[in-house]
Amino acid sequence: MAVSTIYSTQALNSTHFFTSSSSSKQVFFYRRQTNRRFNTIITCATQQTVVIGLAADSGCGKSTFMRRLTSVFGGAAEPPKGGNPDSNTLISDMTTVICLDDYHSLDRTGRKEKGVTALDPRANDFDLMYEQVKALKSGIAVEKPIYNHVTGLLDAPELIQPPKILVIEGLHPMFDERVRDLLDFSIYLDISNEVKFAWKIQRDMAERGHSLESIKASIEARKPDFDAFIDPQKQYADAVIEVLPTQLIPDDNEGKVLRVRLIMKEGVKYFSPVYLFDEGSTVSWIPCGRKLTCSYPGIKFNYAPDSYFDHEVSVVEMDGQFDRLDELIYVESHLSNLSTNFYGEVTQQMLKHADFPGSNNGTGLFQTIVGLKIRDLYEQLIANKETAPAEAAKA
Amino acid sequence: MTSIAATGLNVATPRAFVGPAARLSAPVRLNYPWKFSSVKRMVMSVKATSEGEIISDKVEKSIQEAKETCADDPVSGECVAAWDEVEELSAAASHARDKKKAGGSDPLEEYCSDNPETDECRTYDN
Repeated sequence: MAVSTIYSTQALNSTHFFTSSSSSKQVFFYRRQTNRRFNTIITCATQQTVVIGLAADSGCGKSTFMRRLTSVFGGAAEPPKGGNPDSNTLISDMTTVICLDDYHSLDRTGRKEKGVTALDPRANDFDLMYEQVKALKSGIAVEKPIYNHVTGLLDAPELIQPPKILVIEGLHPMFDERVRDLLDFSIYLDISNEVKFAWKIQRDMAERGHSLESIKASIEARKPDFDAFIDPQKQYADAVIEVLPTQLIPDDNEGKVLRVRLIMKEGVKYFSPVYLFDEGSTVSWIPCGRKLTCSYPGIKFNYAPDSYFDHEVSVVEMDGQFDRLDELIYVESHLSNLSTNFYGEVTQQMLKHADFPGSNNGTGLFQTIVGLKIRDLYEQLIANKETAPAEAAKA
Repeated sequence: MTSIAATGLNVATPRAFVGPAARLSAPVRLNYPWKFSSVKRMVMSVKATSEGEIISDKVEKSIQEAKETCADDPVSGECVAAWDEVEELSAAASHARDKKKAGGSDPLEEYCSDNPETDECRTYDN
């Protein structure tokens, strides 16, 4: 009697599929039905997956940006059911978020032996990354390796079904040129050094063994690799969210009040940048005044066209913090081209996740706006793909 | 028929091969849930706290190792890789801490903190 093992995989339409492989390595897909038992070979429908790339340091699948993004599309995002509990993948109805750390070619001990960081391209398998992203984009399921952040080892692969929207998050989504060409939209989260330092102190000071010196040393040691390999990806991104220390409070080094800039590339297909009052002009706006009272340090907005790495861009900038709901809705009503489905959608999304970090400043606001822009891009792409074959059939 | 019966038994056993520090994934599917439910809950709460401690120990150890490696040669690849490991483990530790704070061993709390709009998590205040 051959020993069979059963794996359960999360499918797109929430009907459960069982795959059972016997020792002769044959894969059958079974549809679970109580009365009838027959094999059905399921072929994946040819759907074009929209691929989004997000470059962020030390964040993987569970980061705040990802949770906001998946929340815009609706549906619960959770790790694959019944799989490795240390999986970095997040799956919801519409989206699948893949952590690019899973494409490490060297595990933690391997990197220590060779003396390379995870930021170094030598520690990552870009060929596999390209193959698998390409396969998922064309609607083919892949067996993706898992990098276990707790043990630092590469675990057994998990099956990933092609989703409607694939988000690849990690350190090198735009590093390899072939992968870059597969991306429909790319975002780079650029945290300035001062803010990074302040955040890491907040995160690590509670940790036993860490001191101010060790945190500083850790950042300094990674900086050369970061500047050489990760930072240059900025120029390829369609949207950059830049987080800087505030200019409203002199000599602030707590990193609580932030100045956040949303840099949007002009001329990107299906992406229309957000603007304030008058597109293409330079506007400086302080919403606090007679109609709106804000507490210290208040809110300041800036909008201007600019040039970023030789590209035409539009920059919306927010400095300060939101304290109340009406500040949020007031600001939202004055921004244009937000791609919301109804008035107040940005505010509603921000309130839904009021406990997430950044919910009271520009990071949360711009992450939510980028999420809505991606939804708009997706809808336009799908609408376009539907009309294109119809036209081809007519011709 | 026999193959199905045999494979039905095998559903439970692969759990044993997850690894030495076997952590049960939150919604464990058992064919006979009444048999193991109380044990499962106890095991899960014990594993959750010890996971945080395991990572904290690792962070502490890696910081010491990094300091030692860098004392010899501050610009070598080994030193940089050691501090990178410290960063990676610190990130994992802070994730574990957030998870514990968000609801710890209660998978429903964890799920609801990420997905407040789903039916299971809606709260009606008025």
